[in-house]
Amino acid sequence: MDNALANFKKNRTRILTLAVLAFLFFTAVQGMDTQDWFITVMRGLSVGMITFLVAAGLSLILGLMDVLNLAHGELFMVGAYIGWTVFVRPDTIVDYLPLFLLLGAGFPLLSLWGVLLGKNRPTGRVAQIWPWVTLLLGLGLTVWLVQNYPVSMWNPANYAESPISFSLAMAQGRMGIPEATIAPFWMLLGLLVGSLLLSLSVVGFQLRSSTAVAPTEIRREGVIATAVMVILALLIYFANDPITTFLFEMPNTGRFFLAMAFAVLVGLVLGALIEITLIRPLYSRPIYQIMITLGLSFILIEFTRFVWGRPEFTMPKPDMFEGRGEGCPATNIGDLFAHNCAIIQINGARIRYYNEVFIIAVGLVVLVGVWLLLHKTRLGMIIRAGVQDSEMVEALGINVRQVFTAVFALGVGLASLGGVLAAPSLGLSNAMGTQVLLFALIALAIGGLTSFPGAAAGAILVGLMQQFMIKYGQIGINLPFFAEPFKPSPPLVPASTILLMVIILLILPNGLFGRNE
Amino acid sequence: MDNILEVKQIHTFIGQFHILEGVTLTVPRGSIVALLGRNGAGKTTTLKSILGLTPPRDGAVIFEGTPIHGRRSFDIASLGIGFVPEHRAIFRDLSVAENLKIAERKKGDLARKEELIFSLFPDLKRLIKLPGTSLSGGQQQMLAVARALVPDNKLLLIDEPSEGLAPVLIEQMMDAIKELSANTTILLVEQNFIVASQLAEHYVIVDEGHTVQAGLMADLVEDKATIHKYLGAA
Repeated sequence: MDNALANFKKNRTRILTLAVLAFLFFTAVQGMDTQDWFITVMRGLSVGMITFLVAAGLSLILGLMDVLNLAHGELFMVGAYIGWTVFVRPDTIVDYLPLFLLLGAGFPLLSLWGVLLGKNRPTGRVAQIWPWVTLLLGLGLTVWLVQNYPVSMWNPANYAESPISFSLAMAQGRMGIPEATIAPFWMLLGLLVGSLLLSLSVVGFQLRSSTAVAPTEIRREGVIATAVMVILALLIYFANDPITTFLFEMPNTGRFFLAMAFAVLVGLVLGALIEITLIRPLYSRPIYQIMITLGLSFILIEFTRFVWGRPEFTMPKPDMFEGRGEGCPATNIGDLFAHNCAIIQINGARIRYYNEVFIIAVGLVVLVGVWLLLHKTRLGMIIRAGVQDSEMVEALGINVRQVFTAVFALGVGLASLGGVLAAPSLGLSNAMGTQVLLFALIALAIGGLTSFPGAAAGAILVGLMQQFMIKYGQIGINLPFFAEPFKPSPPLVPASTILLMVIILLILPNGLFGRNE
Repeated sequence: MDNILEVKQIHTFIGQFHILEGVTLTVPRGSIVALLGRNGAGKTTTLKSILGLTPPRDGAVIFEGTPIHGRRSFDIASLGIGFVPEHRAIFRDLSVAENLKIAERKKGDLARKEELIFSLFPDLKRLIKLPGTSLSGGQQQMLAVARALVPDNKLLLIDEPSEGLAPVLIEQMMDAIKELSANTTILLVEQNFIVASQLAEHYVIVDEGHTVQAGLMADLVEDKATIHKYLGAA
């Protein structure tokens, strides 16, 4: 009992702030019909969950490695586009996957090259020059091959062949199986050779200075990884047709879940690659890290514009969430699941199955999952310890850099999941990343930057604030001293979330769950 | 007698600052060696350089006959070197149990060492479920030492164990360190000369980044002039 009292005293300001927020929420709801506030709360939670998926990774990365990853929003966007591609045009993934696999296949062999080179190391001028030669050869070969491969997925400039048309065709159920464009086999071999050359040059650069120590052990998992990648690439290459047909003929709900899984996988790989190649060399220069993530975000935007085109387009919702036949709209949860209705009617409010039920459910699963990871596993324990003092964690004999890579990958994976999840409800556009990043940053500031529960609470508050402002824009709010109900205009929506942040930070300078530093 | 650790002429920079300008010391196996010197002499940096947390740019660190300078910290620590940092750097967000658990290098380390740890620091058993934040300063210091005992360490680097502790707790800490030295070698940084002189058999004095003197503690205790010159008060 004493303990509870002491806890209350310690957190007095925090509890009071939350109470005031709850009171404001209560008064905000007073002027609304039940159905209005119910739908607004559900929408707020839905937007909040999407924001949370981005904010969660952002706060873990910021907490553990002090890196503010400004590219996080754009990685969310990339996740959405990858998810769209698997869902609407899975054939392109099947066409391209072998190429990407082979291009990456050389790199797990770094330790093998290191050992081989360590045994008879080139010296003098040869040691200085040959990595450059290998790099240029590898790069030249790869670029030449890629340029000569007929890049055929869609033509963003041609309306009939643009992603917009494919989305439309799929929504109307008249999507055929596009013809596959399969790379010639010699090109696959060429890419593998290019990849081996590139990885060799990486080791060459590492061992260029005479003080660099060559590894003495070949890492077996590296060799296995290369073998798996090559075999997988060949399998997909030779089974292109059956795989494509299978993907197009499977129920589209299944393909949607496949799209989510694939986007998460791509996110994990992309995150690990970014951490290893861009972030890791700059741990001693935090400003450079921020600059490089900012630069990366621009590159990612231009990349998606190049591949998918500038215009916005939609992603159809999977059938499971689009039932409109008998028994719909559902009036209770049982009916909703039985008929896969698009809409469920509760208290007169029309709740959309996908937007307001599925998204919130996935968000909750991730919330609980990450919480369990942080509190019930050894990795989570190391992450929580590392947020406070990563140097000490290293001094205990734990390879913190591996944990950094894992957390960065996890964060990007979550953002990517958020992207696919958001795509059917928000649509795809080049600007979707920047928008969500802004809200995620506000959520982080509200929650206390590096706190995981803070990121969740902040994201949900931001989502609610936003949706309530939008709703008030439609129905108006009665303010004292105003004769007419006040209708906030759309630009006030993002402004209101910033106002919320300012107020909370004025009362609690470290955010809701932040720590006094 | 063989030396478990030899540090030869290491130079360490922190940013632009040349902190260690040639520190040399040897730690005989099974002994307690006290690293003495004024504030800012480079004692903590020496410990961190041994562990690779502030890697030396020049010189050699040799642990059990193999050079370890230039290796990553986690790699060095895994060889069997435990570190108790100054200012009781325990993990505040973790419970006492987790603070110990995280130090495991093999599964079951903690289970094997539990008895030893709780016999040295009986308080910790009572506090095992509490978060690190709710521990007092002395309890945090005990936890920091206990954490270094979880894996089988051959060498412990302990930084200022008595700093800011009440006299009763200093005694308890000294008893614990004495008991530990039966099984492990200890390199100790200690400001409190009385504590250091009662614990250590050997001493090394660093001043302005150099090793200036080393020898047997029994001789140093007699040498008031040196004590006064390098350590201030006697």
